[in-house]
Amino acid sequence: MSAGIRKVGSYRRARATLEPYWFMAPAAIMLATVYLGPMIYAVMTSTTHWVLTEPGSENIRAGLENYKDVLGAPSFWQAVKITLLYTLTSVTLSLTLGTLLALLLDNELHFASFFRSIMLIPMVITPAVIAIFWKLLYEQEQGVLNSLLVAMGFAKVAWLGLDHAFFAMVIMDSWQNTPFFMLVILAGLQSVDSNLMDAARVDGANVFQRFRYVVLPHLVPYMLIAAAFRGIATMNDFDKIWLLTQGGPGEATTTITVYTYKIAFSSFDMGRTTAIALIFVVIVLVTSAPLLRHLFRTARRPA
Amino acid sequence: MTFTLSHSTKRLLLSLLCLCLGIIYLFPYAWMVLTGFRSAVDTLSLRFIFEPTLEGFRSVLGDSIFRAYMLNSIIVSTLTTVVVLTVAAPAAFALGHLPIRGTGFLLFVLVVRMVPGIAILIPIYLVASRLGVLDTHGVLIVLYATFNLPFAIWLLRGFFCDVPGEIREAAIIDGCSELQVFLKIMLPLTSSGIVATGVFVFIAAWNEFLFALALTNSFASTAPLAMVAFRSEYGVQWPSIGAAAFIISTPVVLFAVVMQRFLVRGLTMGSVKG
Repeated sequence: MSAGIRKVGSYRRARATLEPYWFMAPAAIMLATVYLGPMIYAVMTSTTHWVLTEPGSENIRAGLENYKDVLGAPSFWQAVKITLLYTLTSVTLSLTLGTLLALLLDNELHFASFFRSIMLIPMVITPAVIAIFWKLLYEQEQGVLNSLLVAMGFAKVAWLGLDHAFFAMVIMDSWQNTPFFMLVILAGLQSVDSNLMDAARVDGANVFQRFRYVVLPHLVPYMLIAAAFRGIATMNDFDKIWLLTQGGPGEATTTITVYTYKIAFSSFDMGRTTAIALIFVVIVLVTSAPLLRHLFRTARRPA
Repeated sequence: MTFTLSHSTKRLLLSLLCLCLGIIYLFPYAWMVLTGFRSAVDTLSLRFIFEPTLEGFRSVLGDSIFRAYMLNSIIVSTLTTVVVLTVAAPAAFALGHLPIRGTGFLLFVLVVRMVPGIAILIPIYLVASRLGVLDTHGVLIVLYATFNLPFAIWLLRGFFCDVPGEIREAAIIDGCSELQVFLKIMLPLTSSGIVATGVFVFIAAWNEFLFALALTNSFASTAPLAMVAFRSEYGVQWPSIGAAAFIISTPVVLFAVVMQRFLVRGLTMGSVKG
């Protein structure tokens, strides 16, 4: 009899401990199906010579040949280089501008909330649309930027030409990202310990010393996390680049995402494409590992 | 203190600087909107003063393809939002309140969030074409919903954590099941967080481009793809392009301005405590 009671009790307990998982089951199933499934399929595909336009080619085994081909191709490394340069310059530029704007906004200003509303727009606006209006500004013959240059007595610049397309892309991305840095750093500024600031003032530190020795050390973690977040987003950027330059002229703005897309839908070589994509996953996950660790730690702490 | 600006003068000067910077910052967007109201003749002229015309808007709204794309965007984004909230809210509640070790799941959610879209695009394309679901609304909704789950779960978990655990315990003692606690107590208490999350998901789904480009052909194509279509179809018809870009971006811009207070928390999530 006591055994029976224990059985019922443990059944109840099992039900109670299982119940929470029912709440998570739909999310877990969706995530596993859409992410893990395709990832496994990609790994399998990457070991074949499957070309979509050649029926039957999905059964040709390739082993690791696709990976060897990709890693041996200069065009791949060129794309990696452009991706990293693009990410680095864009994040540095928007971090700097964002910090300056946050320092300005940290004062009590009259139009602060109006300004903040405006700065939200670049963060939410459709990237495909962003690319279009930057294309309009960069237009060579009569675009605004060149018209201004001519009005000021300078020569026209081929903004989307070989020499400048990379920077045109960086400026466009920084325009979109600066508000994000501004918001994060503003939150950082507003949590600076005011006692510490007062103490520094009493000790005779001027405004620059106070920034250098009190404010900046406090801001660094905010800057790092924000940079990691935006860095990953910029590495994955596709829409804006595709619509502004399609990776051109030549390969000047061909990042890994654009490179993968071009290869996929021009050669239809699925083995090779999935190999590139998987190498890119590794690059992104390795780069984002410190951020993941940080997020995981803060999340585990009871909120 | 021989020569210093008075506090209020300094404040005024900085405020004016701020206002100027805001206007400069908005210029690229504002210029495109203005272009939408120009006539084809003086499209690219530098003049700010011109006779506005609705030619561009008329030609875009008269285009049945553009209208279809807009309708597709509304359908796909709305249904995506509904699916995400339905699936993410219970998961977020469980992670925030129920006695489980959810760390493994949280880590999984985090890692998944970092996986680049392009990496799963090709296998998903292949599977979708085998299943015969290319160019359907359904495939976009399922994909967009899944892509937004990690973010939604994280954001919602924060809102659920704001509700004190004692409320749930009291309800359990009064005989509520966990499901009842979730439906009758937690959802009403977190409604503003749920709305904010919904807005985020809607914006993300509305803006998505890569998967829409690769997986749809025309039947289920969404509004951002009109930017590609216009480029080839209209050549350099900037007024039409400006008008289309304005129409496409208006819903998200309106959300941003109206929901400012809610959005800041989500936009900076993970980077700022709280």
